[in-house]
Amino acid sequence: MDTLKKIDFENRKTRTDEETTDMALFVRTSKEDILGWNRQRIVDALVRETYVDIDTAEEISKEVERQIIDSRITIVTAPLIRELVDAKLIERGLEQARRMHTRLGVPLYDADRLILHPNKENANVPHGPEATNLTLAEVIKKEYALLNVFSQEIGDAHMRGDIHIHDLGFIDRPYCSGQSLEYIKKFGLNLPNSLSIAKPAKHPEVLLAHMVKFAAALQSHFAGAIGWDSVNLFFAPYLEGLSDAEVKQLAQMLIFEFSQQAVARGGQAIFTDINLYWEVPKHFEDVPAIGPGGTYTGKPYGYYLEESQRFVWLLFDVFKEGDGVGRPFFFPKPLVHITEKLFQTPGHEAFLDHICDVASEKGNTYFVFDRGNTAKISECCRLSFKLETSDLEDAKEPWKMRYAALQNVTLNLPRMGYLAKGDDTKLYSNISQFMEMAVQAHLQKKAFIEKLLSLGEKGPLALLTMDKDGSPYLRMHRATYLIGMLGLNELIEMHTGEELQHSKASLKYGLKIIAHMKLLADKFSKKHGMRFVLEQSPAESTAYRFAKLDLKYHSPESGHIVKGNISKGEVYYTNSTYLPVSLQVNPIERVRKEGLFHPLIEAGSLTHIWLGEAKPSKESLTNFVIKTFRGTLNDQIAFSPEFTTCISCGKTARGLTEKCTYCDSHEVEGITRITGYFTKTSSWNKGKIGELNDRFRNHGFLQDKESDVINFTVKVPLTVSPVRDVR
Amino acid sequence: MTQIKGFLETSFVDWPGKIASVIFLPYCNFRCPYCHNHGIVLTPEKYETIPIEYVLNRLNEFKEWIDGVCITGGEPTLHPSLPEFIRKFRVQNFLIKLDTNGTNPHVLRNLISNKLIDYVSMDVKAPLDEIRYSKCAGVPVNLKDIRESISLLKGGTVPYEFRVTVVPGLLKEDDIMELAKQLVRADKLTIQNFNTSDPLDPKLKHVKPYNEGELKRIRDRVSKVLQTPNP
Repeated sequence: MDTLKKIDFENRKTRTDEETTDMALFVRTSKEDILGWNRQRIVDALVRETYVDIDTAEEISKEVERQIIDSRITIVTAPLIRELVDAKLIERGLEQARRMHTRLGVPLYDADRLILHPNKENANVPHGPEATNLTLAEVIKKEYALLNVFSQEIGDAHMRGDIHIHDLGFIDRPYCSGQSLEYIKKFGLNLPNSLSIAKPAKHPEVLLAHMVKFAAALQSHFAGAIGWDSVNLFFAPYLEGLSDAEVKQLAQMLIFEFSQQAVARGGQAIFTDINLYWEVPKHFEDVPAIGPGGTYTGKPYGYYLEESQRFVWLLFDVFKEGDGVGRPFFFPKPLVHITEKLFQTPGHEAFLDHICDVASEKGNTYFVFDRGNTAKISECCRLSFKLETSDLEDAKEPWKMRYAALQNVTLNLPRMGYLAKGDDTKLYSNISQFMEMAVQAHLQKKAFIEKLLSLGEKGPLALLTMDKDGSPYLRMHRATYLIGMLGLNELIEMHTGEELQHSKASLKYGLKIIAHMKLLADKFSKKHGMRFVLEQSPAESTAYRFAKLDLKYHSPESGHIVKGNISKGEVYYTNSTYLPVSLQVNPIERVRKEGLFHPLIEAGSLTHIWLGEAKPSKESLTNFVIKTFRGTLNDQIAFSPEFTTCISCGKTARGLTEKCTYCDSHEVEGITRITGYFTKTSSWNKGKIGELNDRFRNHGFLQDKESDVINFTVKVPLTVSPVRDVR
Repeated sequence: MTQIKGFLETSFVDWPGKIASVIFLPYCNFRCPYCHNHGIVLTPEKYETIPIEYVLNRLNEFKEWIDGVCITGGEPTLHPSLPEFIRKFRVQNFLIKLDTNGTNPHVLRNLISNKLIDYVSMDVKAPLDEIRYSKCAGVPVNLKDIRESISLLKGGTVPYEFRVTVVPGLLKEDDIMELAKQLVRADKLTIQNFNTSDPLDPKLKHVKPYNEGELKRIRDRVSKVLQTPNP
């Protein structure tokens, strides 16, 4: 690249006569030019970018020029000049102009570190040039968002850590999306600005290829998860006549395609959720099936039960085997819907054992409980949408079933506690105030996204405006706006002196707070005609960020409240409405108590059961899953085992150990769930490492005080030792 | 009365298909070098005794969830009051699984005939000869009792499994196969890996356990041997 292509002597000469003498001064511009000094450029920029009047601009430019000449520098950079100008704006009290004139970017030191070291904010981002691009772009877009999309008040609330606006680095995209394969089955792959147009798939492999490409396109238009509804059912019409081996091959292709990271954005795997059913969901039973070539097969989906079951069974066969070296697949995440109808569908006992076998062996399975007549589609770490009447109407034309959440804003609950200082009235007023900030943040993001969408097919979100069925791909009127919460347990502890699980009263207090938040969300929804819903934020880095900020602003109280290891900086708050991860509580109590919150949290909830190295019997898990469905209000559960994979010999074994159980090598990596998905523990941020140390696994324990303490460091996980040894 | 030294409220691993609570009783007549519960075997006084009322209360809170109670130890059959102890859970309609080393066949027979237990998990230590068995049990063992317990289970009506803990050096793979042959047509012989974290004999800490691959091979061989029809 010819960075030094043009030195504009001509220009320099014409300008020198203005006031200063012929300065031998060159400016490295941001356009990869080196230009001669030209004071007028300062004036032009000020007038173009801000509301400063021309006389002030002239004055400032002269002052800056004088400063530069006096300093006797011969080459200055455009950013330096800009900063000097900004300093002059501040001297004059022109704060708004300074904001408008500010420059976004990163210090050299930061860029150097980013390029050399991995990013730990999101464990789903590998380290590499693409990942660095993503991170650098995120840094700038985040600054842009805080300066230009959100008001000063909201930006400050985020910076202070009252609230956390998720994915600021993806400010120009909605948050996450759920869709139906029917869209590409019916319309083929015909995306705006694409180089070629594909007709609807005729073969299952092609349909899979379309699904993968479309998912990649969506990933570049959404910040978070991409979910797919009833994947096994919608594939079914393509599977007739195929042998089991062929279907298994297809299942394998599907899982590997979504698990391998060599895709578009920042080398980041697409955060994919596939929703699966053993039965044909009631709302699809009579819907005409779309088959090869995008044409109706003449049969309803109810007819395809067997093919649909065969596919889902084989998908779980693949999950059970794991990847090439037996590790669990990180993506796609299989979400199995447990419904009344499942229990009326023949073969469900064997199917439940099968998916519980995978849960025990590899942990992949998510059990989503759709009780009564509700139907749900889930995506993201927790997010799920309850299908309402209008959706069930849409279900007759399933390609219409497209959902999105526009943004997620998480509230720092413990902060409300510090500020309330034990005063109930103050606490409730803080809740309203924080909720209102979240709502403002949503309104501002919505306005921004609408601006981008209004640019239509020439705009940056052309894909989301494409209209093949009478409405744009992104159906804004159906969008949800998520309000997450973090650290309910710590708020209760701060406010009442007791942790959430401590007594019935403290649990009740926690429920009251969340119920109040739900009530407020409903009120705001009515007021603004938007859908604000509570969510259990996955809070992979927020749990760490809030704890760190509160240690800074709310010591000494926060020192007693934050979890983790303060001296190591491995601090965190308990996610959302969870009971503390370290709590020695049996899984029954955990699903029951955590489940009490789930009905209030409409956008979806999840209870984790950390298994550690124990490998439960699949039948016992099935037993537990059924009882959870029948006997609790819990929304969703997942069992998380832990693994150690060896870099030297490539083998994977159960449990987190400091050396490989096969070859004794110390070159090992731990694998388990970070929030809603599996990753390598080496990529975790410090807060989550602190949490991993604390996690209580449902192991045997004797009540002695000398029992082994589990302790992980950032680098080498040590072994966890169960007292009993039943594997 | 029998003292409870450990209580795990729920387990998905101890009783296949069931959600079970596990109760640990103190004392044992074996000194298996790989024992990882030797604390309650050798120095039970160091462990808090958990009142049975507490345990029953907790179980009641989870009545709809917990199918049964696993009674383990230590060696539960050493406690003369075991039948009474079990009855306390029985009357609450919990199923009972007993873990035993098989040294007290008369206790076992009594429990079975009184319909106090629903499942038995019997540890077998080594092929059935005095030398190897005693080496693995850490004390001299009267094999007559062990054999009697084995045939009691094999010929009885209560579901059961045999379990063997495998420690390289203590049990060769051939030994395990020999044991499997001796147990031929038993319902189940579960192969358990040993846990290096805190064995009774500290020397075993440095023994490398079988890895998952080796275990799988052993398990596959064992299940073939078990299923061999009588010649």
